[in-house]
Amino acid sequence: MSIRKDELSTVSIYLILGLFLFLYTFPLLYLVNVSFKTTAEFALNPVSPAGNFFDFHNFTTALKRGNLIRYSVNTIFYAVASAILTLFVCVLAAFPISRRHVRGSVLLFNIFLASLFLPNGLIPQFRLMVYLGLYNTSHGYILLKVSTGVVFFILTSYIKSIPIELDEAAGIDGCGYMQYIIRILIPLMKPALASGFILHIVGIWNDIIGGVLYFSNRNLFPAVRGLFSFYGQYGNDWPPLSAAIIIIALPLILLYVLFQKYIIEGAVSGAFKG
Amino acid sequence: MIPFGNTKYSGIIPYLTILPALLFYVTFYLGPSLATVVFSFTNITGVSGMPWKFIGLDNYERFFRSGSATEIWECFNRTIIFSLSVVLIQNTIALFLSVQLNKKMKGHLFYRALIFMPVILGVTVVGYMWKLVLNPIDGPAQQLLSLFQTRSNFLGSINLAFPLVISIQIWMAMGYSLVIYLSGLQTIPEELYEAGHIDGANNFQIFRNITIPLLAPAITVNVLLAIIGSLQVFDTMFVLTNGFFKTKTLSLLMFQEAFRGSQRQGYASAIAVLLFILVLFFVLVFQFYLRKREDNL
Repeated sequence: MSIRKDELSTVSIYLILGLFLFLYTFPLLYLVNVSFKTTAEFALNPVSPAGNFFDFHNFTTALKRGNLIRYSVNTIFYAVASAILTLFVCVLAAFPISRRHVRGSVLLFNIFLASLFLPNGLIPQFRLMVYLGLYNTSHGYILLKVSTGVVFFILTSYIKSIPIELDEAAGIDGCGYMQYIIRILIPLMKPALASGFILHIVGIWNDIIGGVLYFSNRNLFPAVRGLFSFYGQYGNDWPPLSAAIIIIALPLILLYVLFQKYIIEGAVSGAFKG
Repeated sequence: MIPFGNTKYSGIIPYLTILPALLFYVTFYLGPSLATVVFSFTNITGVSGMPWKFIGLDNYERFFRSGSATEIWECFNRTIIFSLSVVLIQNTIALFLSVQLNKKMKGHLFYRALIFMPVILGVTVVGYMWKLVLNPIDGPAQQLLSLFQTRSNFLGSINLAFPLVISIQIWMAMGYSLVIYLSGLQTIPEELYEAGHIDGANNFQIFRNITIPLLAPAITVNVLLAIIGSLQVFDTMFVLTNGFFKTKTLSLLMFQEAFRGSQRQGYASAIAVLLFILVLFFVLVFQFYLRKREDNL
C-alpha cells in the first residue's frame, strides 16, 4: 500500500495542529489539576491526577490567606471606572475627529497614534503621579488609566462606517451636537463600545507593572498585584497558589467566554487602525 | 461641513468635545513621553529631595562607553535577539496556523479561541502557570526530561531561561497575530484559490503567489506590532525571572534602573530614548524592505 504525498502532508499538518492543541491546553489543565491536590499529594508526585476534584480547600485557603476577594473588588472598580471614563472621552473625541469637524483632524489622529511609538513615559508619569498626590490612591490610578489608545481607534473606525447622511438628517431635524452624540451615535455604536469596554477591562486586569508601581497600600492592591505578593509569600506551596491563580483568572475567563466575539473583533479592528 | 446648528458658537462645540481626551492624553502619555527625552539629559534620581542638574550627553556616553563585555551590552544584544526571535517565530507559526484554520475544518473556532486565550489571561497568570509547568522539582517538564535521562532548572538555568522566556512570550502573544491573519485571510475571495487550482498550481504556489501578496496588510500590521511590542516588553521577564539567569533586556534594565536600587532615573530615561530609537530603526528598515518588495512586483 502506498501513501500519496498530499495524504502525508495532511497527516503532518494534523500532527502539528495537535501539538499546538497540547501546548495550549496542557498548562491550563495542569493548573486546574494542581489546584485540587493536597499539599501531600503534590509533594509525592506533582503530575498525578488529583485525588478529589470536589475538594475546594485550596480555594478557601487561598481566599483566606491572600485577601483575593478584596483585590478582585478593587480591580473591578478600577477597571470599570476607568473604562467608563475612557469610553466617554473617546466617543466625544472620536466623532469630530473621524468626521473632520475640526481643523487638523488628521494631525490630531496621528498625534494620538504616535503613542504607539513614542519613548516610554513611565518615569515622568510616575513622578507626575507623586507630584499631583495621586500616587497610592484609587482615583489617581483610575485617572492614569484613562487611555486614548486602542479604544479610540476602534471607535473612530466604527464611526466611519456610520453613514454621514444620518448626521445631516438629524441636523435638519434640529438635533444639537451633543444631543446627537448621546442620543443617536452612542446607541448605534454598541458593538464598538462593548469591544472597547471589554478590551479596556482586560488591559487593566493584566496591568502588573502599574499595580506594582502605583500602590504600596495593601488594601488598594489590584488583583494581579495581590497574586504577585501571594506568590512572593507562598511561592513553593503550589496547590493553594494554583487555586489563587484560578481565582484571579476566573473573571477574565468568564468575560472571554461570554464576549469572545467582541473581544476578538475589537482587537483586530484596533490593530488595523493602529 | 458640520450639519448641527448654525449659531455663532456651534462651530466651537467639536473643539470642546475633543478637549477632555486631549487633556488626558497630553497629561498622562504625550507629556511624560516627551519629558523622558528631557530627563535623559539630567542626573535626576528617584530619591526625593535630591538636587539635579543638566549633564548633557553624559547618560548616553555612559551607555556607549561601557564596553562590549559589560552587562549593558549583553542586555542590548539580548534585546535584539529577543525581538528578532519573537517577530520571526511568532509570525511564521501564526501564519501557518491561520492558513490551516482558514480551511474551516471541524473545531476551527474552538482552536482560535483557545490560542487567543493567553492574550486575555495576561502576563501574571500566564507567567505563574508556566512556572508551575516548569517547576524544577518533579514538575511535568522535568518528568519529561527524565525520560531522556537529563534534568534542568528551566527558568533558573543560565542556558535555558532566556529561550524559555522567548517561547513563553510567543506562546502568550501568538493568538493576537493569529486573529489578525485570520481576518486578513477572510478578505481573500474563494474564487482566487479555485482559479489557482484550475491553473494547476500546487498548495505552496498558491500560498506564495495568492495568499502572501493579498495578506500583505495583515503581515505589515503584525510585524509592526511585534517589533514595537517585543522591543518594549518587560513585564514577561519581570514576572518570570525578574531579569536573573541572563534574561534581562534593555526595557527591564530601564525599569530597574528607574525604580530599584539607586533609582537613576536620568540614566533610565536615556535607555528609554535609545529603545525608542531602536524601535524607529527597525520600523524604518521594515518599511524600506516593504517598499523594495513593492518595486519588485
